[in-house]
Amino acid sequence: MNSLVNNLALPSYKEQSPEVKAWFDRLKQQPVVLEINNVSKEFESESGPQQVLKDVSFKVHKREFMSIIGPSGCGKSTLIRILACLEEMSDGMILLDKFPVREPGADRGMVFQKYTLFPWLTVKKNVMFGLEASGEMGKFESERMALQWLDIVGLKKYADHYPAQLSGGMQQRVAIARALANKPKVLLMDEPFGALDAQTRAKMQEYLLHIWENIDITIIFITHDLEEAVYLSDRVLVLKANPGEVQEIIEVPVPRPRSPEQFLSPEFLSTKIYLEQLIHPKLEETRDEFKVLRMIAKDMQGGRVGNG
Amino acid sequence: MKKPDKWFVFIKEIAPGKRRGLTVLSFVLPLLIWSAISYIPALWHPEVRIDEVGDTIYFEEGDRVDIETFRLENAKLKAAGDEVMSGTRVNPVYFPAPHKVAQALYYAFITPPQRTGEAWFHQSVIHSVKVVFWGFFLSSLFGVPLGILCGVFRFFSKLTEPFIEFFRYFPAPVFGALAVAILGINDAPKVAIIFIGTFFQQVLVIANTTRTVEYSMIEAAQTLGAKTGRLLFKVVIPACLPKLYMDMRILLGWAWTYLIVAEVVGTSTGISWFINQQAKYRLFENVYAAILVLGFIGLGTDMLLALIGRSLFAWEEGKHSFWSRRRNRSQESIGEDDE
Repeated sequence: MNSLVNNLALPSYKEQSPEVKAWFDRLKQQPVVLEINNVSKEFESESGPQQVLKDVSFKVHKREFMSIIGPSGCGKSTLIRILACLEEMSDGMILLDKFPVREPGADRGMVFQKYTLFPWLTVKKNVMFGLEASGEMGKFESERMALQWLDIVGLKKYADHYPAQLSGGMQQRVAIARALANKPKVLLMDEPFGALDAQTRAKMQEYLLHIWENIDITIIFITHDLEEAVYLSDRVLVLKANPGEVQEIIEVPVPRPRSPEQFLSPEFLSTKIYLEQLIHPKLEETRDEFKVLRMIAKDMQGGRVGNG
Repeated sequence: MKKPDKWFVFIKEIAPGKRRGLTVLSFVLPLLIWSAISYIPALWHPEVRIDEVGDTIYFEEGDRVDIETFRLENAKLKAAGDEVMSGTRVNPVYFPAPHKVAQALYYAFITPPQRTGEAWFHQSVIHSVKVVFWGFFLSSLFGVPLGILCGVFRFFSKLTEPFIEFFRYFPAPVFGALAVAILGINDAPKVAIIFIGTFFQQVLVIANTTRTVEYSMIEAAQTLGAKTGRLLFKVVIPACLPKLYMDMRILLGWAWTYLIVAEVVGTSTGISWFINQQAKYRLFENVYAAILVLGFIGLGTDMLLALIGRSLFAWEEGKHSFWSRRRNRSQESIGEDDE
């Protein structure tokens, strides 16, 4: 498949159409919401200190959708957990609206890969959790807000259900509503669709794009699915493993609004192929040898049995 | 219909009908064995109750003698040409038949105490229940909060748990004499024994349960802006409440097992007093009746608590509890006005 696509004459992922160029120009004029400066993370292991992240720096603009990808073990999950202050960094600085962040808070809402809805609360109460924690609005007001957010993710009629009654995809939609209800400055998403089946995941990507298009929100999205990253993001940050370093930040040349038909557009494919090469370099050399002996008779080939 | 209905299935559940049948059988089976031994002489009945004394000078009517002695004596009488004894084969007095125990169970409640000033049977039972209740209540009053704190903060865990681990190996009964010396001979030392027997286990068990809270729940709450107090009361406690409730049911069972020890501390009271008293009179059917009452109270309480628990924690199965259903219904009407 890859070689086949390679043989097609694809444009470079760096080629941007005028409208895409205009899009990025506008994006870069937006204020910087999140500034990550030289973030490093080390931890002690049995074989001595191990560096998970090294000098990671980047900026995220307001209303940007940024994905972070990288080979497994590159520390992308660690990075987003550091942004949420769920883990401490060894060195560096994170500025949110120019102020350093020190502890977890509702200004960096997070959606996890694991289902983290509180099972003892109804869907509505789950969404109200953060609103009540902030203490900014009364019970009645927060209930109204919660229902409004549930309406946005299309789950208003499940308001009084318990999480156990909802499918995985629905639970993640509630989790998104729950995080967004707090009006976070950035929404951190740590492989939020990783546990879902392919079909549900595709639907969830649609939902997320739809929400992002209609709501004033900046998103940082961790994934190991390259298509997902290209499809959703403005920019994709590629992390290198051992230690986790920023390899490249690429601007996705696929115009918005996005739709599933674009999966086969030249700019989509060229971006995806480029990312693949970045993440899995020299694929041929790293491929493991399979030692399988032939254990079926030759005349059984193609499902035919000998005497037939 | 779809699946073959099997009796032996690995780990997984069997058909509801079978389940109920086995539950009934688990009570019926021991009862059947008991009845068989009681009513079928060939199975055991190692003694003879003498109905007619004949010419023997050794025994009186109503005496229970073991079967060998009975035969030997009869053989002697026969040889001497005297009239032989006749009797019925019976079980020993400490093994009464089910109907005897059932009768005793009934009469225990309506028989006035032997001496004035002594407790009626139901008063003894209530006294026992009170002792267990206060012991368990006081233990929980301190044990549950401390256990939760130990589970949440390593600070409390390291500060208290090592000593508690040490202390819990002292069997509660060894504090009996001390408790009486300090607290007098009334109910206080009895409550103290139950407290000591329960408290130290309780702290450790509750702490362990609290530690099983899924950390991702806490992280999620943190990213929603929750700080220490909210994390503790709105996340950790509700999250582990069903398991804590289960722990409490098991712990209550343990508290019951300390009852008999507690009741012989100082002056004997409650069901233990009744049991000891009846054993002295060799009215063993009453002893069994009292033991059964203990069992009924224990099982009854646990079943009631299980039932309440299933409603309280209906959310575990994604269901609404009885009261939250009602609350929702009243809220729905508000919601409709809003639209």
